[in-house]
Amino acid sequence: MRLGSLSVAAGMMIFAATAVASERIELPPGPNRDLVYARCRVCHDLQYVVESAGITGDNWVALIEDMGSYGLRISSDDRDKIVKYLVTYLGPNPPKVTPSSAPPAQAEVNGKDVYARQCTSCHQPEGVGLAKTFPPLAGNPDLFLDRLFPVYVVLNGLEGPAIIKGEHYQGVMPPFDHLSDAEIAAVVGYVRGAWNNDKLRPAGFVKVDAAAVREARNKPMKPSEVHAYRQARK
Amino acid sequence: MQKKSGQSGQVSLSRREFGMLAGAAAAGVSLNMIPGFARRALAAAPENAAQIIKGKSAEMIVHNAKLGVMETPIALLRKYQYTPKEILFVRFHYPHEGEAAWYASLQPPHRKDWTLQIDGLVQRPRTVKLADIEQMGQVKRVSVLQCAGNGRSFYAAKQKVGGGQWKNGGMGNVEWEGVPLRHFLDEMKVLPSASVRWLTAEGWDQPATPEGSDFSKSYHIDDAALDNAILALKMNGEPIPAAHGGPLRLIIPGFYGNMNVKLLTKLMLMSEQSPSVFQSLGYRFPLMPVQPGQFKANDYTLGNSRPTYGHQIKSVIFSPLPEDKPGAGAVEITGVAFNDGMAPITSVQVSADGGKTWQEATIKPAEDPWAWYHWSVKATLAPGTNTLMSLATDALGRSQPLDGLVRWNPRGYEWNGVERLSITV
Repeated sequence: MRLGSLSVAAGMMIFAATAVASERIELPPGPNRDLVYARCRVCHDLQYVVESAGITGDNWVALIEDMGSYGLRISSDDRDKIVKYLVTYLGPNPPKVTPSSAPPAQAEVNGKDVYARQCTSCHQPEGVGLAKTFPPLAGNPDLFLDRLFPVYVVLNGLEGPAIIKGEHYQGVMPPFDHLSDAEIAAVVGYVRGAWNNDKLRPAGFVKVDAAAVREARNKPMKPSEVHAYRQARK
Repeated sequence: MQKKSGQSGQVSLSRREFGMLAGAAAAGVSLNMIPGFARRALAAAPENAAQIIKGKSAEMIVHNAKLGVMETPIALLRKYQYTPKEILFVRFHYPHEGEAAWYASLQPPHRKDWTLQIDGLVQRPRTVKLADIEQMGQVKRVSVLQCAGNGRSFYAAKQKVGGGQWKNGGMGNVEWEGVPLRHFLDEMKVLPSASVRWLTAEGWDQPATPEGSDFSKSYHIDDAALDNAILALKMNGEPIPAAHGGPLRLIIPGFYGNMNVKLLTKLMLMSEQSPSVFQSLGYRFPLMPVQPGQFKANDYTLGNSRPTYGHQIKSVIFSPLPEDKPGAGAVEITGVAFNDGMAPITSVQVSADGGKTWQEATIKPAEDPWAWYHWSVKATLAPGTNTLMSLATDALGRSQPLDGLVRWNPRGYEWNGVERLSITV
């Protein structure tokens, strides 16, 4: 699967590779799985979720309630969706996953909605981030580093030190490759246009579409490689 | 690591993956019950402990890479009297990323600027430099360090408990060295108020988000266990690695791991215990036996539960392990036993036939009350499946429950059921 990049990894142990595991842990497909990917990985990777598979619905309810005291902040609506997903697909009697079942037909993709569901727990609803922990997207010139850089970040994650708007960051963003090509194109388009980011847009800048995302998806990178890509263009 | 393709789409798992699945099986979860996705996820996860915390053995069993949570395979653990840093289990609560990346390392931190603050209901709060603590007289304490969740996976035979599914490897036998806590507090002459009832310890690490609770632990100021506590500076003879709480860690010998606060920055003398959820909700054990469904993970109160203080008496079989592939006939069964150090281990009974017959093991004295005791006994393995069991008892008459599930609790702490190990010869 990723044998090639694994052997590259072996030769690149210069940085403390801290988030390697979260990349490839896959949960069973089902409605609102994307919320689990987006919310739970802020604090821990998904191996805890996988290792807990099979606990009763009551226990999932209690566990998510518990996470609130450890820092999870979500709307009650999102919490209910996450609980429903976990109880259904990681409870004692999960439905059989049929690999042939086609993904549900995509409704019109709205970048603002994708942002609200997937990005706000770290980057915050207004894109201001959290000083020293989660970089801002509002006014972040990396958005226009080149046409595809934000796509690479969303698809592959990002790991490595960076100074953004004068503040130092060294966190690890997990990959969001569970999002569809259309969703990634839409969310990148939304962020590039929101919060006056338009002012940073170079003239003649070509926006990304789903086809461009698909092409980028076919060339997976490690989060540290995305960082190296950024550094090479700074 | 990537699997080798076998015939007809079969996969062969690496040792780690096999260990995880085997652990689930031992916990009463049949392999068929592990959803297909999870098998894929386990097989595909490329992380190994050496990538997560620099210097760790790649053979460690990883429970959470982002937090650096990992346990030791028993086949590794049994090789050493003092568990080396390369294989000692790790449990952190927050991501070791960004400004916290420095402690994902087995190097001792170069933090000469480190200070310890003593504050709270005291006349004279102090801030003490690490260098000054290093100048004070030090003592050694050999103690088992054990995660309160060690053995959590075994509770699944009653009802599975959420969280990392630890087997027996969340423990190690460690030589600590540092300044006696009570002597240190006396020397500081902070003049505590007469209303001080609790000592609270806090570490440097911080939650991933501002909404998360900070990690701190509180102890009754009169707890006799504090008489043996030290402000530890060394682990196994060298400065404590960052991943194990260096440069300064509160060690309360015989207490579960979470009580031994890492990256120690603050001691607070207070009339109340800390409101941290790690004290008030997490790492607690119900005072009365509880049943699944009746008592849930968030039903803990200060009144109906207690923190996971001292180790429950426990024994673990080190040899033979299934991977030793012993033959039928004479065999030496060996292992370790330990408790909270309040009384010596006086007996370890061992059965090689699933509890039908028992014999007394020979126990080697431990070097400190909190260290593990080695025991051994000669037995015979019959062709077929042999269930090896070990049951420790101490001088206070405390022993392990034959059925560890009687101590089932919704957060899965303090497993100390009689060890059962199936060996097929």
